[in-house]
Amino acid sequence: MKNNKLIYLAIGFVVLVLLAVFPFILPKLQLNIVIEIAFFSLFVLSYTLLLGYGGLLSFGHAAFFGIGGYLTAIIIRSFPGVHLLLVILISAAAAALAAFWVGFFCVRRSGTYFALLTLAFNQFFFAVALKWSSVTGGDDGLGIKLGDMYLPFVGNIHMHSTTNMYYLVMAVVVLCMVGCWFLLKTPFGNTVAAVKDNEDRAWFIGYNVLRTKLTLFTISGLIAGIAGSLFVLFEEFVSLGCINLVMSTQVLFMAFIGGTGSFFGPILGSAVYIYFTEWISGITENWEFFLGVLFILLIMYAHRGLIGIIGFVVDRFRTSE
Amino acid sequence: MTHLEIIDLHKDFSGLHVISGVSLKIAPGERHAVIGPNGAGKSTLFNLISGRYRPNKGRILFKGEDITGWSPLKINRRGLARSFQITNIFKNMTVLQNIENAILARKGMQFKMFRLLKNMPEVPDEARSIMETISVAEHADAPAGELSYGLQRALEIGIALATGPNLLLLDEPTAGMTKEETREAVTLIEKITEGKTLIIIEHDMDVVFSLADQITVLNYGEILASGTPQDIKNNPDVKRAYLGNKICF
Repeated sequence: MKNNKLIYLAIGFVVLVLLAVFPFILPKLQLNIVIEIAFFSLFVLSYTLLLGYGGLLSFGHAAFFGIGGYLTAIIIRSFPGVHLLLVILISAAAAALAAFWVGFFCVRRSGTYFALLTLAFNQFFFAVALKWSSVTGGDDGLGIKLGDMYLPFVGNIHMHSTTNMYYLVMAVVVLCMVGCWFLLKTPFGNTVAAVKDNEDRAWFIGYNVLRTKLTLFTISGLIAGIAGSLFVLFEEFVSLGCINLVMSTQVLFMAFIGGTGSFFGPILGSAVYIYFTEWISGITENWEFFLGVLFILLIMYAHRGLIGIIGFVVDRFRTSE
Repeated sequence: MTHLEIIDLHKDFSGLHVISGVSLKIAPGERHAVIGPNGAGKSTLFNLISGRYRPNKGRILFKGEDITGWSPLKINRRGLARSFQITNIFKNMTVLQNIENAILARKGMQFKMFRLLKNMPEVPDEARSIMETISVAEHADAPAGELSYGLQRALEIGIALATGPNLLLLDEPTAGMTKEETREAVTLIEKITEGKTLIIIEHDMDVVFSLADQITVLNYGEILASGTPQDIKNNPDVKRAYLGNKICF
């Protein structure tokens, strides 16, 4: 038991060291991809919290990613001096508020109806982003210019640099992931598991199932909002692509590719998705077709995703020893 | 003061009258059995008392408080717990976690996000003592769904017990058990209901007569008879209703 813990800590340490030195060993192109994988992993983690741990399948999660992103762009354009960390915080709060509102209506329904309602609300926010073009830029989207970010002991950090953006994104993503990791080990994390396992019995032993689902939904929306904010800070641009159904589908794909039953599935899923689409879109114009085929094969033969496949292989290896 | 009072309770489902005017008073500490043929409305009565269904007419008073129409959550928090006829456990969680779920809810910790479970040893400690009581302690880390039927039934009761009730509703706790398992179950039920009030639905008359202080016979949603085991044994209506029936005294 103790040995396992040491191994995990050692792996964790190595990973952190690698993450810290990536900007010095990776070419800029690769570094950009790693940044993308980072904030998409966070987005997918927010989705996995809802689906894998909460048992709630949402078809409209881009709503909160997009709200986080749009708020970030709007604040930076309207109030250029605001500290970036505060911008991220406000964007997250807005996404959380939206998730609370949407969740309030959706958690009263289950299964199919829940999914359809999330889809409907996503479309509502998409419509707002499209029509309220004076604020959101409509079809054209909004571009932002990043200035410097001040940190005590460090001074002004030039945020237009890829390396600095990398560290900001990594710090926020790692912090949020560690937060989620610990959240799942709190009594609330247990409540979520219990409600997912047997909602009916949970009511009878004193759990407010609706309040549990709503709380989870709000937290999930908040994290998605942070991811959306990081996306816009990195891309220096927000558009309808952040809040449309394609993005909602993309996060679902990534989640399933990695595996919704594991905490590390999101990282694996985003990495594979991003590398796969980079590679295949370089080969053929019909890359979306191949993505669809991959997804069908995944659901039919490996619905636990890559983590499931890895687990299967490890088990076979163990039992053959 | 009565622990539970049911006043002229009615429940119908789209015109089908399942409970038609049931009135009952249960004293604190009483062991009350509810018996009757299948379809008599026994489980429906439990569902009404525990908050799964809302009655169409009538009231339910628990410790003098009107709990009619309350949610199962609110009723459980007041000290009423029930077990289910069809095992209703947390199949994918361990036996220990099943009991801990109830304890955490009882302690009001369901939404605590800033403490780690592993820093709360009092929870598994209490869970272990309950697991010892219901004799499932050696399976603490097994997924509940993998337990044998008899042990799952014990866990079923244990979860209800862990919510800290003073009124326990047990719905056919010995259903599907062997004679030996039934005997153990009766001993367990006697042990865990010391100082508590018990309402038990049962088909096994041996269990009923060894446990119950009071018996109510339900038939077609109405009370046919209610009284001491002696009264029920000698009641001509009860004998008539069950003539030719599997239940025999």
